[in-house]
Amino acid sequence: MNNPYLPMSVTIKKIIIENEARDIKTFDLGFNDKKDANKFKYTCGQFAEISILGVGEAPIGIASSPMDEDLVQFTVKKYPTGVVTSVLHNLCPGDIIGIRGPYGNGFPMKDFEGNNLLIIGGGFALTTLRSLTKYILHKKNRARFKDITVLYGARGPGELIYKSDLKQWDQREDINIHLTVDKGDENWKDLVGLVPNVLKELAPSSKDCISLVCGPFIMVKYTIPPLLDIGFSPERIFTSLEMRMKCGIGKCGRCNIGSKYVCKDGPVFTYKELQGLPNEY
Amino acid sequence: MEEIEEKIKDTVKKLFKENKIDIFIGYSEGTLPLRATPCFITKPDNIEKLVWNSYCFNNLAVYLPRFFLTQHQKKDARLPKIGILAKGCDGRSIVGLIKEHQIPRENLYIMGIPCEGMIDIKKIQDAGCKMQEVEIVGAKEKDNKIVIIDEDKKEIELKKEELLADVCMRCQYTAPVIYDVLIGEEKRKTKEEERAAIIEEFEKKPLEERWKYFQEQVSKCIRCYACRQACPNCYCKECFAEQTKPRWIGATNDISDVMFYQIGRIFHQAGRCVDCGACVRACPMGVDLRVFTYKLVKDVKEFFEYEAGVSLKEDPPLATFKSDDQQEFITEP
Amino acid sequence: MENVKLKIIKKKDVLNFLDSLKKEYNILVPMEKNGDIRFSKFNSGQDIPWDYRNTKISPKEIFFPQAETLFYFEAGASAPSNRSRVSIPINESKDSTSETNNEQRTTNYLIFGIRPCDAQAFSLLDKLFGGDDFQEPYYLKKRKQATIVSLACNKPQITCFCTSLKGKPDNEEGSDVILFDLEENILVKPITKRGEEFIENLNIWFKEAKKSDVEKKNKLMDLSLKKIRSGVNLKNIKEKLDEAFDISFWNEIHQKCLGCGICTYLCPTCHCFDITDEIDSGAGASPTPEGKRVRCWDSCMFPLFTLHASGHNPRPTYKERMRQRIMHKFNYCPENFKEIFCVGCGRCIRNCPVNIDLREMLISIDLS
Repeated sequence: MNNPYLPMSVTIKKIIIENEARDIKTFDLGFNDKKDANKFKYTCGQFAEISILGVGEAPIGIASSPMDEDLVQFTVKKYPTGVVTSVLHNLCPGDIIGIRGPYGNGFPMKDFEGNNLLIIGGGFALTTLRSLTKYILHKKNRARFKDITVLYGARGPGELIYKSDLKQWDQREDINIHLTVDKGDENWKDLVGLVPNVLKELAPSSKDCISLVCGPFIMVKYTIPPLLDIGFSPERIFTSLEMRMKCGIGKCGRCNIGSKYVCKDGPVFTYKELQGLPNEY
Repeated sequence: MEEIEEKIKDTVKKLFKENKIDIFIGYSEGTLPLRATPCFITKPDNIEKLVWNSYCFNNLAVYLPRFFLTQHQKKDARLPKIGILAKGCDGRSIVGLIKEHQIPRENLYIMGIPCEGMIDIKKIQDAGCKMQEVEIVGAKEKDNKIVIIDEDKKEIELKKEELLADVCMRCQYTAPVIYDVLIGEEKRKTKEEERAAIIEEFEKKPLEERWKYFQEQVSKCIRCYACRQACPNCYCKECFAEQTKPRWIGATNDISDVMFYQIGRIFHQAGRCVDCGACVRACPMGVDLRVFTYKLVKDVKEFFEYEAGVSLKEDPPLATFKSDDQQEFITEP
Repeated sequence: MENVKLKIIKKKDVLNFLDSLKKEYNILVPMEKNGDIRFSKFNSGQDIPWDYRNTKISPKEIFFPQAETLFYFEAGASAPSNRSRVSIPINESKDSTSETNNEQRTTNYLIFGIRPCDAQAFSLLDKLFGGDDFQEPYYLKKRKQATIVSLACNKPQITCFCTSLKGKPDNEEGSDVILFDLEENILVKPITKRGEEFIENLNIWFKEAKKSDVEKKNKLMDLSLKKIRSGVNLKNIKEKLDEAFDISFWNEIHQKCLGCGICTYLCPTCHCFDITDEIDSGAGASPTPEGKRVRCWDSCMFPLFTLHASGHNPRPTYKERMRQRIMHKFNYCPENFKEIFCVGCGRCIRNCPVNIDLREMLISIDLS
C-alpha cells in the first residue's frame, strides 16, 4: 500500500527573496530521486506539503507551471508564529527537505479553455495564479484560451512578488496586466487603490469570461460583490481557500468545512460552491 | 435541600425582576442518575429548572472568564452582569479570578451557598456498585442517605457521609468568602489536622514508592486536557502544553511528555490552586493527583502564610514582588 | 437458523481456546485495568469479564492508537536553523504496527469480546480511512488482518442508544463472528467468510448448537432489546441539519461545554488527528539522536484546532466547535459516506464532566 505520509526528498536549488520586507521567498526545489520527479505530476492550483523532518509540515501552493520541467517552485511567506515557515526561511541552497503531494483539486483548466480569463490576485496569494498564468502563456497552450487580464495588487510597490514575471508579462501582447498598490511611492507609475475599487473602475467585461480571485480573505470578500455586479455568475468565479491542514489527504479532519475537505475537494472552489458551504470561514 | 432549592429560585426570580443580572449560572437536573449539570438561565421562565443537591459538584467559576473575553465583545458593548451560584470552592476560585483580573467584581452577583459536601461517584462504585456490574438506573437523596436503584429495581442504601469526595471532606471554607447574598447557614467545618493527615501519610513513604505512585497515576493520562479545561485557573489562551514555539512537550501519551504536562500544570497552580477537585473529577481515566495539588496548597501556606481564594486583599505570593524581597538566590546561588 | 452453522463452546473452555491461539494471533481481550475495563493483550491467567458493559476508551485505539509513529529519521546533532545540511535520510526500519518495540511483530489481530456497537464503528472508520482516493495505511494494515469476534449484549446500559442508529444488542456489522453469552455456554455464530474460516479451522473446540441453545439466545436478545429504552428519532436528521446551520439552538447548547477532548477521545468513530515531529536528543535511552514523525489524537473541540498561523480562527468559540461536532457526525459524514458517524455507545454521555447529553441535543434539534 502506498504510504501517503512519506515525504519525497528534494534539494533547495535556488532561493529568491520576493519582497522588500524580506519575508516572502521563492524556493526552487529539485527532486533527489528521478522516480519521485516522474510521480509528481501536478496541475495549476494544486499544493504540496512542505516537510521538514524534525520540524513539521506546511501546505503551500505550487508556484511553478506544470510546463516547467524538472522544476517545482514554492513561494512561502514567513509567519512569526509559524514553526515550519520560520525554519524554511533560514535554509540555504543545497539543504535537503521533503515534499508530499501534489494534493488538492487544482483549477479545472479544461473548463477554462475557450474563455476569456480575468485573474485577480492580492499580496502573496498570486502564487497559484502565477502557475496558471505561466501555463496559459506557454506557447503550447496559449491558443486554447482567449483574452487574459491580470489585476494584481499589493500593499506597496516593494511587496509585489514575481517582479520579473510581471515585467515580462507587461511586455507581451497577448496579456493585459494591471498593477495596483494600496500606497505608492515616488517611482510608482501604475494604479493606486485597493483591488476591489480598481476592479470597479476597470469594469472588465464578463462576457464569455471566467474570473479567478486569490488573496487575503478580506480582499476576496470585498472583490466578489463587484464581480457579481459586473455580471459574473457564481459558477464562474473561482477562488482558492486557505485552511489549517495537516495530512493533506482528507483524513485528519482539520480542514473540514461542511462536508468538504479543503485539501481534497479544494482548495479551488467556485463562489457557488462556497455559498453552499456553512458560513464558517 | 428542597428548602434551599426554593430559596435559590426565589432569589433568582427577584434578581431578574429587578434587572440585576443578565444571566444566572446554577445547576439543573442531570440526564443521568447522581448527576447535576451546569445551567445557564437567561429567561425567568427557566428558573424552575434550577436544583440544589449533593450532585452539584461542577466548579461553575470556570465559565466566568468566557463572558469577559474582549476579543469576542463588540466594540463598546456593555459587559454582562452574571449571577452565579457559588459553593465554597467555587467562591474561592472566583476570588482568584478577580485577583488575576480575569473577571470584574462589579459584574458579578455571587449567590453564596454553604455546601455540605458533594458525593464522589467513584466512591459509590467502590461501595459495591461497580460500573461494569451494577447499572445505576436511578438515585434518590433521602436525608443523609443516597438510595441507588439498579436495573433490577433493587435498592441499595448508602450513607451520604461515606460517599463525600475527599476534597469535600477536608474543605475548610464551605461557603464562599465573598458573596452578595448567602442562602442558608454554614454548618460543616472540617479540622485542619484532618486535612494535613492525608498528606503526612504520603510524605512518610520512601522516595521510590512515591515516584512509583506518581508514575502509575500519570501513565493513565490520554491528554484529553479535561483537567485543564475544568480548572477555573487554567484560562491561558495558549497552554504551554500546546505551544509550538518553543515546543516544550510532545502531544502524545508518551510517559515523559505526560509527566511534564501534569507536573507543569499542577505547578502553574502553585499559590493559586484552591483545592476544588474539579481536575480529578473531570478526568475520565481516573488520574488522581490530589495528593500533589494538596501538597502545593500546604507548602504555600507554610512558606508564605498564604491560602489562595480566601481573601481579596492578600497579594498572591508567587505573582507579586516587593523591592525588599531577598535576592541572594540570584546573586549567590 | 438460515444456513449458518451455529456452534457452542463451554465458557470454561474459552480460556484454553484462546491460549491455543496465542502463537498465531495477537489476541486482545477486555481486561480489568486501573479499576476499569480496557482492551489488552490476552494473558492466560486472567478470565474474560463476560458480564462487562463496555470499555471506557473505545477499541478504536487498537487500530488507531492515541500515538502512532509514522516513521523515524536520523536527527543528527545540528538544529534545523544551523546553516549546515539539514539532510535527514528517512529511515523507516521499525515496524510501526507493533504495539511496543519489544512485542512480537505479528499483525494478525484477534479482537475477542468487543461489543457490536464498537465493531460497527470499525466499519464506519473503514469507509473514512479507506476510500478511493487516498488510503490510510497504518489503520488499514492492522484492520485488514484482524479477526473481530464480538460479544452480543445481554445487559445494555441506560446510556446505550444503538437502536437509534442501525444497531442492536446482536448487531453483526463489522464483526466476523458474534458470540452470545448463555451463562454456561457461549453460542458462536460466524458472520463473514473470514469468520466462517476461523471457526472451521478450530472446529475441534466447538460442538453443534442445540435448538434449546438458540431459543435461549433469542430470549436473551429480546430481553436485551427491550432494555434499551433511551432512543432518539434520527430519521431525516441529515436533512434537518441541512437547514440548521444558523438556528438559535446552537447559541445555548455550547454554554456548558468545557472544551476538553473527552467525548472525541472516547468515541469509537471520532478520528481527527494531529501530525507532529519529535526529536529525542539522545541524552536518554537511545544513544544517538532519533527523530520521529508521530500521529496523535486531536479534537475539533479543542480551541486551537483550527487556529491559523495568521491568528485567524474560523471556529473561535465553543458554539462553532459544538456545532461542528454535531454537524460532522450527523450531516457531513452522511453526505460523504452515507453513514451517520455515531453508533450509540453512550460513552460521551457517561463521561462528559458537565453531563452534556448527545441524546438531549439530538432531540432538541429534532424539535426546533
